[in-house]
Amino acid sequence: MHLSEEELSILDGQGGPLKRKALEFIVNYATVLGADSLCRVSKAHLFCGAHHYLKAVRSKDMDEVMSEMWFCSPDKIPFDAVGCFSQSDCSPVDHLNWSKMGCCEDEFRENERYLDRCLKAGVHLVGSCVPYMTGFIPVRGEHYVTTESHAVLMMNSLWGACSNADGIEAAFCSAVCARTPLWGMHVPEGRKGTHLFSVTCKPETVEDWDLLGYAVGLRLPPHSIPILAGNVEGADMIRLKSCFAAMATTSGPELCHILGITPEAPTLAACISPSGLEDRVEIGPRQLREAREILCDKQAGEVNYISLGCPHYSIDQISEAATFLEGRKVHENVTLHIWTALPIKAVADRCGYTKTIEDAGGTLMVGSCPLVSERWPAGTRAMAFDSAKQAHYIKPLTSAKVFFGNAGECLQASISGKWGR
Amino acid sequence: MGKVMGMETIVIRGRGAIPGIASGPAMVCRETIQGWSGIDETTGKVIEKGHPAEGQTISDVVLVLSGGKGSNGWSSHFHAARIRGISPCALVLPKIDSRTGVAAVVCGVPTVVDLQEDPFKVIESGDLVTVDGTSGTVTIRKASHDG
Repeated sequence: MHLSEEELSILDGQGGPLKRKALEFIVNYATVLGADSLCRVSKAHLFCGAHHYLKAVRSKDMDEVMSEMWFCSPDKIPFDAVGCFSQSDCSPVDHLNWSKMGCCEDEFRENERYLDRCLKAGVHLVGSCVPYMTGFIPVRGEHYVTTESHAVLMMNSLWGACSNADGIEAAFCSAVCARTPLWGMHVPEGRKGTHLFSVTCKPETVEDWDLLGYAVGLRLPPHSIPILAGNVEGADMIRLKSCFAAMATTSGPELCHILGITPEAPTLAACISPSGLEDRVEIGPRQLREAREILCDKQAGEVNYISLGCPHYSIDQISEAATFLEGRKVHENVTLHIWTALPIKAVADRCGYTKTIEDAGGTLMVGSCPLVSERWPAGTRAMAFDSAKQAHYIKPLTSAKVFFGNAGECLQASISGKWGR
Repeated sequence: MGKVMGMETIVIRGRGAIPGIASGPAMVCRETIQGWSGIDETTGKVIEKGHPAEGQTISDVVLVLSGGKGSNGWSSHFHAARIRGISPCALVLPKIDSRTGVAAVVCGVPTVVDLQEDPFKVIESGDLVTVDGTSGTVTIRKASHDG
């Protein structure tokens, strides 16, 4: 592997022990991938916070936990500095409404302790899965890392930026040493489409696009790059964030070309692999119906937890929810959480949407979600999501019924306390 | 191409990604395993609903896996399990990707990747497999021949 003089000096310890450890990990990772060299990373989106999986390390020493779980270092090396622009992903706690999540004060404070260390290291505490809506916008060809699977698809596909879905440890190490393997999405030949999906249904709503992403993912083999063609003219950022969140749930693509819309797919010839397409698949109304049947419990009935906002809601989506809730009251047996990013909530506060939601009995939550926090109200017997990703992943974790539907259905259910189409 | 040695032993070749030698029973996952809700980090059992390996554990097996899907935090679930002493003893990854690549580094077990032939046509769950991550060879003793 070719390493630059600067990289060799970092491995020699001249950037300090953390930077050396981080680069050692990235070099090992590049070796496993078969990469010939590294590239410079300018942005990192990081899964900061006292997440549940960190409990595997039986230590109260935060530096020991971070060293092992973020940098794969059995030796304690304090996380003291990032080497590029960095933002935080979701954490397990809403720092404003933690008690409404069922967190105790100790859990809140522990999470703050982790986040405070990240802040001191130079990570902006945005706390969101939608970094591209909060100032983290890589341009075409820019190399970045992220710990959020749909964010890779968004930023690679819509802007032609470059990241692999390489996970928490690699992301933290890349953030510190500002390097990642020059491989996969980081090289042009790794970005060609392999599977053509002809969209013959007519996806209009956010729910339609969510189900489209889920259905595509169910049919996409590993190591593949889908190309969406056909009835895709309704694609926009809000629909695509749901589409890509679902697609990155049932499969693992890091890029999705949309013919005539995304920059690397002006024509089919421009975006397909030189070896040609591996398969052609049609996604029609039946495939969307089947996806919904997988995601939504068949037995209608009472519901007592409604969670909206995966991926985190945009200001438009919050506004629409507030408009629906104005003058209405959330059912006394129902908890309604609407999740977004802190900067977006600031706008919602300013516009009065937060108050409207709260007056109705709901809460505008920030910085987390049920999946990341692994929390929903105690005693929940049935829950509903307007997100295929949440419904899919939470089903195996609970004995409660799990419903999936559009935002309107979920909000209606929050008022009636009942689910049923 | 694979080499047949007698009736029972088959050798397939790939690229050695993490050096070392380890042997164990194969757990063959032609289907990828998802990140969130894919593996129980405390038991190593596959918990993904409807997965062909649901209920089986990754502990001390030679995991033959087609790739990663779902959460970018995919590797962290293997990492958290490994800290608890639960890990495959070796990995066979027919085609490397970013999720499995990080997981291989995190597990630190002998790993062979980018195989020259399809291991899913050769290896079945329960076969005794030796992975040599230094030379890049995977040696399979068919379970059906073990009596």
